[in-house]
Amino acid sequence: MSRATQTALVRDDRTTYEAAAGAAVGLSGVAFVVGLAALVGAVEIGDPVAGVELSVALGAVLLALGLAVVGFGVASRLGFVDAAPQPSAGVVAAVAFTAIWFAAGVTAAGAAGIGTVGRLGVGTVLGGGAFAVTALPREDVGSTVPAGAVAVLCGLALVTGVVGPGWERALAGYNATLFGDTVVPAVVLFASLATGWSAAKAYGGFGARGRNVGAYVLIYLVVGSILAVLVGLVAFVTAKGLPGLLNGVGVGGETLVRWPFLTNGAGLLADVAGVFPALVGTVWLVIGAVLFAVPTGVGAAVFLSEYAEQGRFTGAVEVATNGLWSTPSIVFGLFGAAFLIPRFGNQKSLIAGMLTLGFMLLPLVLITSREAILAVPDEYRDASAALGVSKWQTIRSVVLPAAIPGVTTGVILGVGRIAGETAPILLTMGGGVLPAKSAAPNVLSGFRLSASPPFVSNPALLEATSALPYQLYALITAGLSGNIRNPQEYAWGLALTLLLVVLAFYAVGIATRYYFRRKLHQ
Amino acid sequence: MSLTTSRTDWRAGIERRLTRTREFVDDADPEALAVVIASMGSLLTAFVGFLLASPWTAVPLGAFLIATGYGWVRHQALVARAVTFAMTTVTLVTLGLIVVFIFAESIPAFRYEAASVFGVSVPGLGMFAQTRWDAVSDPVRYSLLPMIHGTVMVTAIATLVAGPLGVAAALFIAEIAPPRVRELVKPGIEILAGIPSIVYGFIGFTVINPWASDAFALNGGSTYLFVGMVVGLMALPTVVSVAEDALTSVPDVMKNGSLALGATDWQSMTSITLPAAFSGVSAAVLLGVGRAIGETMAATVMLAGIPRISDPLVNVFYGYETLTSLIARGYGSANGVHESALFAAGVVLFVTVLCLSLGSQYIEARMRRRLGGAE
Repeated sequence: MSRATQTALVRDDRTTYEAAAGAAVGLSGVAFVVGLAALVGAVEIGDPVAGVELSVALGAVLLALGLAVVGFGVASRLGFVDAAPQPSAGVVAAVAFTAIWFAAGVTAAGAAGIGTVGRLGVGTVLGGGAFAVTALPREDVGSTVPAGAVAVLCGLALVTGVVGPGWERALAGYNATLFGDTVVPAVVLFASLATGWSAAKAYGGFGARGRNVGAYVLIYLVVGSILAVLVGLVAFVTAKGLPGLLNGVGVGGETLVRWPFLTNGAGLLADVAGVFPALVGTVWLVIGAVLFAVPTGVGAAVFLSEYAEQGRFTGAVEVATNGLWSTPSIVFGLFGAAFLIPRFGNQKSLIAGMLTLGFMLLPLVLITSREAILAVPDEYRDASAALGVSKWQTIRSVVLPAAIPGVTTGVILGVGRIAGETAPILLTMGGGVLPAKSAAPNVLSGFRLSASPPFVSNPALLEATSALPYQLYALITAGLSGNIRNPQEYAWGLALTLLLVVLAFYAVGIATRYYFRRKLHQ
Repeated sequence: MSLTTSRTDWRAGIERRLTRTREFVDDADPEALAVVIASMGSLLTAFVGFLLASPWTAVPLGAFLIATGYGWVRHQALVARAVTFAMTTVTLVTLGLIVVFIFAESIPAFRYEAASVFGVSVPGLGMFAQTRWDAVSDPVRYSLLPMIHGTVMVTAIATLVAGPLGVAAALFIAEIAPPRVRELVKPGIEILAGIPSIVYGFIGFTVINPWASDAFALNGGSTYLFVGMVVGLMALPTVVSVAEDALTSVPDVMKNGSLALGATDWQSMTSITLPAAFSGVSAAVLLGVGRAIGETMAATVMLAGIPRISDPLVNVFYGYETLTSLIARGYGSANGVHESALFAAGVVLFVTVLCLSLGSQYIEARMRRRLGGAE
């Protein structure tokens, strides 16, 4: 705070500096995007750009960025611009740059053919140097010089062609080889991150504000990449799966809409192989799991939040619920295989799959229902009790209706999660790789009464049945081949169907939440 | 001294409960009580019958439905209370059954892999004292070490991906994002949690593995590196949502105080919000680690399925087998001790993840107490 007296309130001489730093951030972003494109193969690092190879051009950009970043730091240190740096760049930055320069030293020494001890030595010297440069001088130098030097080093390696197209290095003992095609983009990504952060700090004038800007740039980048991955994944699966999914779709004819991929089995006779049995299997699976888990979970939530006294019992239930929530799905599968299968005819069956998924769904329903019931204001209960309404009547006609939005949302999202589960049904439900249409379970008309125990039976529930995620797994383990015309296209169509089923549940769940929330705030 | 008081407390507690039960029984309508007892008794009988795999299970189950149905019409309040109580015990019973059945099935493998230490035979020690897993050719051994190594490799890489990215995204959602952006990013991350693991595995198998094989000139495309990155992406939503809960539970007055002193947003985050929510955020990372350990399908589809330890130990360019993929791949074709050994792998997984879950719950409870001002 003592600096406040020395610093002018309005810094009018910084506009050029800020513009330059902002441009450096933008250029780093461009380099990052181009590096990413090169990594996924959208562009080749050998492509000509302005008369030189792309990798050389990128190297030149990194070189310029590195020098610019060092320039920002030096300009601030020499007092040409009015920044507000702190005495040191801080421990976090120092440790990060130590690690980076240690790694750079080890790699460079390894490339030069120095032995293990020598490599560690070079790494230690460079890492120590980076620590000293980062931690000891004022912040404006400490957070620019090491970052800029990294970029300069990387840029030099690319410009001089030490690393470039056609470069390769076998990693002795690792059974892998590094090629320029992957190393150059990785180097560009890394160096542009360093310069981008450093330039963002310079843009903010170092100090608290500079750190703010630098951190925000990184966080926005992280969130942007997560969303990009999400959109990319969905778009990729859609693009790959649409030909299979829409194969033979038409309007008119015997039925109103023909969609053979969804209404056919995968037999030899079908003109278009479809996923009907697996789709029906997934539907029944979800219905069975919901019938078991939702009443149980909601009832338990009611008891826990309305009847039970907070004590050892509720604590134990809570711990058990959270424990069940984090139990791996394959362990549920093992449990179903050991517990349910011997009790339902000693073979993989639809009902074993239903109950296994029901056990998985139970903690999700319980946790969300309990939150929803606890969120109902106590005034509601008090008002009802003041009218002389009994406790159960209050729960039934006041608490539960008020909690229904939360419960519904939780159930739908939970169902979306278990509809895509593969591991539990792999062990308990099985089914064929390419089931024919006749393999679709016919649960409703399958119930049989008999005079001997167990009195009620349903063969459809006791048979191994396919479901969408299981069929995808079975196709992959069969090497994406089978007695159908185009197994690759079929598998992608199947993946897209599964994704759409699950995402539909999520979309409905999220939409329900919005609907009820807006209704609540009206 | 303290022992005797706790014992008398305990006795007083039981006595209090007994009196309360007696009062409750005296108050309640005898017919309602009879119905509830009949209903709960038949439910218990049905459960025992199911445990014993008796074909007569349907009889008490039917009796339960009839008694409950009758009671629902005549004595709804009491029956509802009894039934919801029975539903509450389901989670405890399920967890108990999982423990009993998985452990029981794994006993033959633990017996088979007994090894003696100082002349004392310790069952199961052979699974961790040597590195050979071979269920077919002699000597048949069931070491879990190769798979544990694989799980550790995948989980470590996944945590490196999911931890920092997850915490950064949680900070963004909880502190930085303007409301409209948050309403877009939050569902997006929820949807990321919804993409089925087999779809990730399918993309890994058809796209990433061939690409990696080509880009690094590998023998086959299976690598712990990329399996770990994919699993990290899958564990990311768990980290984000739990960490975000922890960050938003920090009282606003603390942040406002810091901002009022002239601190920047980032300063308030690093010196107020993150330290206050530190335990919650670390619980989030622990839960993410648990998810990564238990992730099955992507690992099964992308890994090579050879139970071997890579050489050198930290070689991320090999991808052999994890505990989860071992079970998913081997179950069905295995029998006898081999099948039992798969259950032993399940026991290791279950115990590890349960410990992580308990640890994170303890941390969260402590944080809640502290923010509540009790500590």
